[in-house]
Amino acid sequence: MNDRQILTRDLLVLFSLTGWGLSLPYFGSDFMVSMGLTCLMYIALSSSWGLFCGNTRYLSLATSAFFGIGAYTCALQLEQLGWAATIALGAGVAAAVAVVMGAAVLHLRGTYFAVLTFGMTELIRHAVTYYEKSVTGTVGRVLTVVPERDTIYLTVLCLAVITVGLSMWVRRTRLGLALVGIGADEQRAQTLGVDTRWVKLLGFAMTAAVAGAVGAAMSVRWTYIDPHTVFNPFIGFQTVLIALIGGAMTLWGPLIAAVVFSLLAETLRLQAPQVYMMSLGLLLILCVLYLPAGLASLRWDTWKIWRDDIRAWWKERRREWTGEKERDKRRAREQRLV
Amino acid sequence: MALGAWLELIGSGLITGGVYALVALGMNLQYGLMRILNIAHGEFLMVGAYLTWMVHTAVGLSPVLMIPVAFLVLGVAGMAIHFLCFRRLVSTSPNLDIFEARGLMVAFGLMFLVQNLVSWLWGGDLRGYDFLTDPVSVAGAPVAGNKLLVFALALLFSLGMLALLRATLLGKGVRALMQSSVGAQLVGIDTKRLHPMMFGLGLGLSGVAGCLLSMAYTIAPSMGEPYTVTALIVITLGGFGSMGGALLGGLLLGVVEAVGMHYTNPSLKALLSYAVFIAVLLLRPEGLFTRKTRKA
Repeated sequence: MNDRQILTRDLLVLFSLTGWGLSLPYFGSDFMVSMGLTCLMYIALSSSWGLFCGNTRYLSLATSAFFGIGAYTCALQLEQLGWAATIALGAGVAAAVAVVMGAAVLHLRGTYFAVLTFGMTELIRHAVTYYEKSVTGTVGRVLTVVPERDTIYLTVLCLAVITVGLSMWVRRTRLGLALVGIGADEQRAQTLGVDTRWVKLLGFAMTAAVAGAVGAAMSVRWTYIDPHTVFNPFIGFQTVLIALIGGAMTLWGPLIAAVVFSLLAETLRLQAPQVYMMSLGLLLILCVLYLPAGLASLRWDTWKIWRDDIRAWWKERRREWTGEKERDKRRAREQRLV
Repeated sequence: MALGAWLELIGSGLITGGVYALVALGMNLQYGLMRILNIAHGEFLMVGAYLTWMVHTAVGLSPVLMIPVAFLVLGVAGMAIHFLCFRRLVSTSPNLDIFEARGLMVAFGLMFLVQNLVSWLWGGDLRGYDFLTDPVSVAGAPVAGNKLLVFALALLFSLGMLALLRATLLGKGVRALMQSSVGAQLVGIDTKRLHPMMFGLGLGLSGVAGCLLSMAYTIAPSMGEPYTVTALIVITLGGFGSMGGALLGGLLLGVVEAVGMHYTNPSLKALLSYAVFIAVLLLRPEGLFTRKTRKA
């Protein structure tokens, strides 16, 4: 397929998926809509994460910070501003925080960057908790004026579609090429004339804006928010998990993984929450070990390779256990002596 | 403030700092040697604490006797984990950067797995037992006996670990591997044997730390994560891969927390340690105690 055909295919897939998403509130039950909402939330979060962090290999754990900032912006401003303006404000505030944070930490790479973004997230969470406790004297905030269920659903759907579209568009521009170039070799990208500092800042702010908007849109669903729920590091972890399991470098990987995860979460979480988390951990380990490029890289050949690997392994074990290996070694030794 | 009160404050900081140092040493060993940043380290500490609690309440064995048991159980578990996960990761990763990122992800998976396994098996309640709760007077200040024992043992194990690395042939091999893994292999150091062993040793140390903690504090499945974060902070303070730095950093962080909490208030403890952490990472990413000229 050439470039144009791939674009057409991607657009068509996105279009049909959007259609399915749009029709869900009309035929689905409440349960299905709420499941769809979680699914769309993680699609938006992990696609935007993959756009910056997947391409540049900067492992950011700050998603939950931006999510929480968006949620708090919404809680504070929803009554003064309208619905759309609140979400835009949430995205703007999160992006502004990301620019400040990015300016401080984006010159560090690898583990330092991951650890530092995690530390900053926790710092923001504890700072908000402390501020709420000692200055405003509350633990959480109650959102009294809440839009309808369908409004929330459509907003999050819209955000998810925008994110996937943005991810498609950026991949086709110079910015996307620059991001991939930074991921492959940052110094080489610099030498070739990419202004890596600004590219990274822009990418990071873009990720944060999406997370902030999603946070603002999702906060009204809970109607009561406190720092512990909206700055929950688990939101960040799960985003990273989904993106990595799906394939952070790919366009559709995060989406596939988000759907799989929402289904898994809803079926397992109520009966056995610990089993759900355990399977999450196990899946992540298996995925990193055996499918490092993510679910999106799964092809028919992959199964064949695995099958051949297992067969070869079993053959080797059998040779060892039946003593065939030892005999071969001895024979070789005897031949050398002769 | 009187001198006695200062001593008491610094003493209580040192006691928590001793445990921090022990946890951080194990984690630093794994990172410095194999570039595995084991985010699940605190979870294994929690497993050690639960093991001790279980055996102590069921059989009545003294927690002090449980120290070698916890060390052995977690050491073997560590070797098994290295055999199952990280051995394959080393052989399939194209370069060290990618290995580090993948190792971090595997450790995240381990964290979810272990933490939820424990809370599934034993439930999420707070647990604890009484052990040596009578206060002992040290230089005029009363200190709980169990905390003093915890501090002494944590310091003993930390210093033992440092001595092992400095004075023995095994330690020399490990330090050589830290400096240059290719060079170490060239002079005949067996990486394939040393790596699982050191990973097991690191986890064993976390098991010991968990065992010690269960003597003085209540335990819960979620207790591991704060210690992981603290260990990360300590490692950053001391410099990634520097053992003496981790020991000093742990004690220093304990004291900073105790003094800071005294002057502000206890709910600022987490905020304070994160602020220290971020400040150090931004201003001196190579650690407080390393010289600038040496490359990390």
